[in-house]
Amino acid sequence: MSTVMAKSGGRKSKAARLAKTFFLRLGFYFLLCALSFIFLYPFITMIVKSLMTDDDLYNITVKWLPSQATWSNYDIAFRRMRFKAYVWNNVIVCGAATLGHVVSCSLTGYAFARYKFRLKNVLFVLVILMMIVPVQVIIFPLYKQYSDWGWLNRSDVLTFLPLVVPTFFGMGLNGGFFIFLFRQFFMGLPYEMEEAARVDGCGPIRTYARIMLPMAQAPLLVCSVLSLVWHWNDYFEPGVYITAPAYRMLPSVLPNLYALLNQENHTMIQVNELEGIVFNEAMLMAATFLCIIPILIAYLILQRRFMEGVERSGLTGM
Amino acid sequence: MSVQGKVLARKPKKKMGIDRKRSLEAYIFLIPWLIGICVFFAFPIFTSVRLSFSKIVSFKGLITEWAGLTNYEYIFFYDINFIPTFLQVVYDTLLNTPLCIVFSLVIAILINRKMVGRGFFRTAFFIPVLLGSGYIMKQLLGMGVDGTTITTGIVVPRLIADLLGVSITEVVQSFLDRITVVLWKSGVQIVLFLAGLQGISGSLYEAAKVDGATEWEMFWKITLPMITPIILMNVVYTIVAFFTDGTNPMVDYIYKMNFTNQMYESAAAMSWIYFIFALLLCGAAILLMRRYVYDSGSKN
Repeated sequence: MSTVMAKSGGRKSKAARLAKTFFLRLGFYFLLCALSFIFLYPFITMIVKSLMTDDDLYNITVKWLPSQATWSNYDIAFRRMRFKAYVWNNVIVCGAATLGHVVSCSLTGYAFARYKFRLKNVLFVLVILMMIVPVQVIIFPLYKQYSDWGWLNRSDVLTFLPLVVPTFFGMGLNGGFFIFLFRQFFMGLPYEMEEAARVDGCGPIRTYARIMLPMAQAPLLVCSVLSLVWHWNDYFEPGVYITAPAYRMLPSVLPNLYALLNQENHTMIQVNELEGIVFNEAMLMAATFLCIIPILIAYLILQRRFMEGVERSGLTGM
Repeated sequence: MSVQGKVLARKPKKKMGIDRKRSLEAYIFLIPWLIGICVFFAFPIFTSVRLSFSKIVSFKGLITEWAGLTNYEYIFFYDINFIPTFLQVVYDTLLNTPLCIVFSLVIAILINRKMVGRGFFRTAFFIPVLLGSGYIMKQLLGMGVDGTTITTGIVVPRLIADLLGVSITEVVQSFLDRITVVLWKSGVQIVLFLAGLQGISGSLYEAAKVDGATEWEMFWKITLPMITPIILMNVVYTIVAFFTDGTNPMVDYIYKMNFTNQMYESAAAMSWIYFIFALLLCGAAILLMRRYVYDSGSKN
């Protein structure tokens, strides 16, 4: 009798526990959804607004769903910001700069991780300083320097030099961070690899290129993705260095569009085939979205491998 | 005997030779970076420091004249914008950094579990990084997200506002606004925390579970201590990120001083004060936290 009671009691508590875990689960998902809503909110607003017609834009009752979605905003934005012309500038600069970071930062990180040499600690302090000193502090001397070298105010492809060349020397946008990333990864590898290679008569550069680098896929991927994204979105340095209108980068076209919108009477578009169309907020949002579409697609493809890469790169194993 | 002496003398010399050879190899790897750091970092910094203490006489070749502390005097005593902007940035950073760390740790712990839609949530929390530190984010944050609209998306404002009264609602409102901005800048931190959480050995949790520890206890006794190195790293990263961010009014102001007002000397002085403060803040954070950071003993 008593055993039966105990059994039924046990079943009841099991049901209670199930209910408890269910509600905990529910609360957990609710919290996650709420948080991701905050994260996605500006993004969603941007997409929704970009599909609105002129009427919807000034209708307060239309907050989320446009009464009729229109793709024409994208068409106008595409032509207005001369997407096709500028996107290649972005591709060239980001591609070259990413290549530069991958090559130079992996070399430097490798040296810091695997060798003992004079002044190592002093030089490593410099790497840390590179991470901490904001580019704004040294922007004027850099500007002056590039201008003395004739890298500025050019109207050919060489106007990208100030953005690309420093990355091949381990500097540039967040170069210190990438050196640190590679150092952390290489520090975690066993020394036997290089010793075996050296015993077999493999030189240092070949050891690096043939043995160490192929193992470093995780940090290479993380470095490429982050370098690509950061360069794509950067508008500070391109805004300072690039003056030729034909060589502007996409994000630095946006401020002009925003300025256009903020002018008191919305300006008519002056580009030939678009003459007479009022530039509105929806087109602006479409232009903004167009700017990040390439990088978004690239990230969605690499998402899983990128996350694995961060975990494997040993970055967090300080 | 002389032969023996020679051999003895050569032995340590040969060993030093290997060390030197290894050292030389290292420098071969370091050549590009060494050139880079001299040309694109050390020299500009030197120029910038020099500028902050001098007056430009001629732009050609950047000939300057020693001016002592006049530039620093100018920005502290004559420039009416510098101190308020600077204090605002300091206040924001001191407030945002802890918020950022706490929220990104919580989010990382949440999405570290096995669950439905893990990939979606991970992407969602990384989206701000894709939109970037750049102009896009600046504008999106400026367009209502930063202001009132976001809270209407989450809280029922009228009802709660009636219950709380005007002044408290304002505080809550500004807090929510701040959180939105902070959350939007914590993508990288979340990724780093996630990686750190993955690095904690599962056997620790298993052992704790066998001993009857609750999840809450496991968080305080295992997760938090094990993740302290990453917390420190994230604190430094966050401080630097907030200080160098394009949406930061001080950065804007320095830029304007340089390229709009063309007061290069004052701008240099300004950026140095700004940078040294960031450095002090990072140093203070490291010193304060070092005692609590878990050391696995695998140093170098």
